[in-house]
Amino acid sequence: MNNAMRTMPAEAATVERYQGVVADSRFKRLWNANAPGYLFLLPWLLGFFGLTLGPALISLYLSFTDFDMLRSPGWVGAANYVRIATADPKFASAMSVTLTYVALSVPFKLAFALMVALALNRGVRGLPIYRAIFYLPSLLGASVAIAVLWRQLFAGDGLVNAALAQFGIQGPSWISHPSYSIYTLVALSVWQFGSPMIIFLAGLRQIPQDMYEAASLDGASKFRQFYKITLPLLTPVIFFNAVVQTIDAFKAFTPAFIISGGTGGPINSTLFYTLYLYQEAFGNFRMGYASALAWILVIIIAIFTAFSFLSSRYWVHYDD
Amino acid sequence: MTLRVSRRNFMAGGATLLSLSALGSSAFAQDARLRLLWWGSQPRADRTNKVSELYKAKNPGISITGEFLGWGDYWPRLATQVAGKNAPDVIQMDYRYIVEYAHRGALAPLDSYMPSKLNLADFDKAQIEGGSVDGHLYGVSLGANSAATMLNTIAFEEAGIDLPTKATTWEEFGKMAAELTKAGKRKGLFGMADGSGGEPLFENYLRQRGKALYTADAKVGFGVEEATEWFDMWNKFRENGACVPPDIQALDKNDIETNTLTLGKSAAGFAHSNQFVAYQQMNKDKLTLANHMRVTKDSKGGHYRKPSMFFSVSSQSKVVDQAVDYVNFFVTNPEAALALGVERGIPESAAMREVVAAKLDAVGKVPLEYVSGLGDLAGKLPPPPPAGAGEGELTLRNISEQVGFGQLTAADGGKQLVDELTRILARG
Repeated sequence: MNNAMRTMPAEAATVERYQGVVADSRFKRLWNANAPGYLFLLPWLLGFFGLTLGPALISLYLSFTDFDMLRSPGWVGAANYVRIATADPKFASAMSVTLTYVALSVPFKLAFALMVALALNRGVRGLPIYRAIFYLPSLLGASVAIAVLWRQLFAGDGLVNAALAQFGIQGPSWISHPSYSIYTLVALSVWQFGSPMIIFLAGLRQIPQDMYEAASLDGASKFRQFYKITLPLLTPVIFFNAVVQTIDAFKAFTPAFIISGGTGGPINSTLFYTLYLYQEAFGNFRMGYASALAWILVIIIAIFTAFSFLSSRYWVHYDD
Repeated sequence: MTLRVSRRNFMAGGATLLSLSALGSSAFAQDARLRLLWWGSQPRADRTNKVSELYKAKNPGISITGEFLGWGDYWPRLATQVAGKNAPDVIQMDYRYIVEYAHRGALAPLDSYMPSKLNLADFDKAQIEGGSVDGHLYGVSLGANSAATMLNTIAFEEAGIDLPTKATTWEEFGKMAAELTKAGKRKGLFGMADGSGGEPLFENYLRQRGKALYTADAKVGFGVEEATEWFDMWNKFRENGACVPPDIQALDKNDIETNTLTLGKSAAGFAHSNQFVAYQQMNKDKLTLANHMRVTKDSKGGHYRKPSMFFSVSSQSKVVDQAVDYVNFFVTNPEAALALGVERGIPESAAMREVVAAKLDAVGKVPLEYVSGLGDLAGKLPPPPPAGAGEGELTLRNISEQVGFGQLTAADGGKQLVDELTRILARG
């Protein structure tokens, strides 16, 4: 084709033919420029259509059926959704456990992450090492091994109670008492503060130092500087972290699954929404119903995220 | 650069390729490929794989791949494989799920293979029935067992308390267990596990009272009265320290590793007899088996010989004949029986039972003697649990915990249990 282009004017080709080649070559040029990009994207594109979008659409279809994994699905209309809304006490119970978890774990985790980020933001010697150490729980945290470790720590005769016993306090079996079990899971989540912490750290680095210098010249206290400079300038980062962590918290599954042995017990106190969904799908052969539960979760997360974005215009300040 | 291939080289290369593929077909190609799936631990896997080796030695040209998982992971995996039309040929099936899988057409009926290919002539008739759904055989029982009380003999001895006998009632056992707790020979040791949420125990209790967990037509087989008295009895055990407190019981994930007996929190625990060998492996002290206690001195025993697990053949299998032949080998071949022992329960075939009994060690003899010695404590096999029974088991556990933690009275717990089970069964 390069040959053709080079020779074309010399041969005084017809205008029509010339235009055709130009249009053709524009597409080809575009393709030549982007082909490597698409090639590199290919694994992701395949994954997205094959493993994300495709299954999501199928699950939307299944949510209107009585699919039981073994027989072919039969259309039941909105029956699954009606049942969720009107006749499923476990849905309400799982939702309340999950909302409690989100409401507690997200703020605590963000506050903790910010505190550590502030501490690490100073010129500490060996900073990369500290950052790596503090980030470690986030890498390990979602794993089964850590959930098992947590089970050991917070059991009746675990390390936590051994420590409390030093002060003469006889602690309960935290993970297996319905009044406390959810808090051990919140603690496990807060402990995995690494990824918001790293993002906070990056955000803190963006704040110009001269602002602090000017403020201290004006006699502002450290606390006032934090309150009047750091926090407002950090709001975009806080916003980002809050949205990401909220979505993550809604989807939490592994810790509750491991710690309760998949039952959500004692007394449904750790019956996370996703755990209930899993029980319905794989324990009770109600894949259609579980799909409906999954879509309700999608809608709830969407509502929360939309609300965060709407509220953000009142408290998030973009420096411009 | 061009690659030149002369005619001679081409011919030589082609011949090499041909001979290689011929080598491949003789060495690797198989007449049949069998896939097995079962739940259990490593010792069971070793025994099962040994049987597969024996079978392969007798049937050259068959390849067998076996896979095993823990109970909790097993059912999601199996359901996913069946839904994905990728079911294993031979499936280990449980009494609890056989109705669900058979009704949904996932299992192949095996009647037409009997007796020529599948010879169950010397099986206990009642146990063959256990693998039948709607009059067709869907599962071949791999062994019989029964619900049991596991006792730590050393802990009882240390406290100076005799082991319960076949005549011991729940009331008496409650007193013995409370005494054992009070004796305080070991720190944090209670007399027994809190069995109020254990379905086999509750079922045994109901059967002694002439009721059932579920009826044959998929209804709740007991009333609020029985359930209330059950919860009430355990409330008393909790009050006088006979059983572990509820937050310790809640650690039990329904497996051997987390049973309060294995954790050293109780001197008595509740499990199935075929688990005895594994329990003994995980406990330093010498254990023994006893039946569940009697409700009253003259009540009938609520036990039954349960077909512990089945081998079923997938209806999707392309090698059903081969799969049936493997199952037949598994339950009727003496070498296979010796390899399996009593790990999956007592063999159903009378001939295999004799083969195994002659070679059992002391630990293996305990469950064998326990199950064969139940005598009049054992009654008729109840009908297979209806669809939804899995959810029912979780419901009993949940409500027993609410009663245990004092969130519900025994009476409210009893009422709620009947209500919820009724609702679950109606939904199916």
